Amino acid sequence: MSAPILSVRALERRVGDVEILRRIDLDVMPGEAIGVIGPSGSGKSSLLRCIAGLDEVSGGAVMVEGRQTRPGDGAVGMVFQQFNLWPHLTARENVALALKLVRRMPAADAAAKADAALARVGLGALGGRKPAALSGGQQQRVAIARTLAMEPRVLLFDEPTAALDPELTTEVLDVIRDLAAAGTTMLVVSHEMGFIARLSTRVVFLDHGVVVQAAPPAALFGAQAEPRVRSFLQTYLDRVAWARDA
Amino acid sequence: MIAALLESFAAAARGLPLTLAIWGAGVATGLALGFVIGAVRFFAPAALSWPLAAVVEAVRGVPFLVQCFLLYFGGPFIGIDLTPIVAGWVALSVYGAAYFSEVFRAGFMAVPPGHLEAARMLGIPRNQAVLRIMLPMMALAVLPSLANLAVILIKETAILSIITVPELTFRVQGVGSATFAFAETTLVLALVYWALVEATAVASRHAERRIARALAA
Repeated sequence: MSAPILSVRALERRVGDVEILRRIDLDVMPGEAIGVIGPSGSGKSSLLRCIAGLDEVSGGAVMVEGRQTRPGDGAVGMVFQQFNLWPHLTARENVALALKLVRRMPAADAAAKADAALARVGLGALGGRKPAALSGGQQQRVAIARTLAMEPRVLLFDEPTAALDPELTTEVLDVIRDLAAAGTTMLVVSHEMGFIARLSTRVVFLDHGVVVQAAPPAALFGAQAEPRVRSFLQTYLDRVAWARDA
Repeated sequence: MIAALLESFAAAARGLPLTLAIWGAGVATGLALGFVIGAVRFFAPAALSWPLAAVVEAVRGVPFLVQCFLLYFGGPFIGIDLTPIVAGWVALSVYGAAYFSEVFRAGFMAVPPGHLEAARMLGIPRNQAVLRIMLPMMALAVLPSLANLAVILIKETAILSIITVPELTFRVQGVGSATFAFAETTLVLALVYWALVEATAVASRHAERRIARALAA
């Protein structure tokens, strides 16, 4: 049995009197895809941001391969809900910038690697476009390529399709699914329940900063769901039922 | 009447180079100073930031005319004895810097934090992120406001005539004092400043478009 690539130990985050995360424990094995679901304000994004090191933790630790992480140390990559592409740079330049500045790659090598990363998300032909000339789905795929190019050990997706319409959502989810199939270790926060169910090796349900249940999707989305999880999922299931019956 | 008009235009032509020079110099130093003040107020801790905020508020709260008087007539009392032209340049720079700094500060604030978080996650050092990401993004946002302020400063240079800077207004008013043709000289002043403002406004819009094209799609 291999060691976990990511260990979250008794992670706590408080802002003033508000407890955002309460003693979260989570071990992620290499190649796992962890789906993180739960109601708004349950701490899903905070969990990812604490793992990334973007939000300060009040207690506990986050380790990647046994080492405490810092933002930008290459251990963790993050894909944001709002893409956060730099608007004045082309898709290729967005991907290549960190390769040049951090990896110290010569410009030509960085551009070549950027093109390879863009090809991997199906955008090999659009490297010369600025973000404004790309659809939302394409922008998010550029953001994924930008993160991939730095080859992080763990990828974090913070509601990667929440800003996209259903059609564009599909193309982004397909990319994430391909990455998971290729063995990329990832944590995905999403409200796309069907996607999470099919993608994840395990699903974590958060509520009020506590892990209510962490289980394989078949269990969590099935008969073994905790009552709180079941009531949360009911609204989603109702919608699916409506679509099926219509 | 025609003679007075012609004489006024001639005087305006003699004063124009200094008006343009002092305006250009004032805008240049005002932009540089304003950028530094805006950056310090955005990035530096409060202890450094609030004294600058107080200065900016004071400069924005006092009429430019009064500032010129304070510097030119009050300066010698504290050992700042400047020639009219230097005093005019300094006054215009400080006045411009106060307003420019607010635009720069707003520009820094307008860059979404997520864009810098993305850079941070990729390991891009903070100073590089500011240089490569924040400043270009900010430039686009602040360009129109900066250009607008620069154009407004042209009209403020007229006030420098009060501290005997021999610029456009000073020269043309000299014609008025000598000939008592105040209506004609004032009309010429109005026309010349209007033409100047229109010309710089057109030029700045042109420059704006070019810079914007260079920075973004």
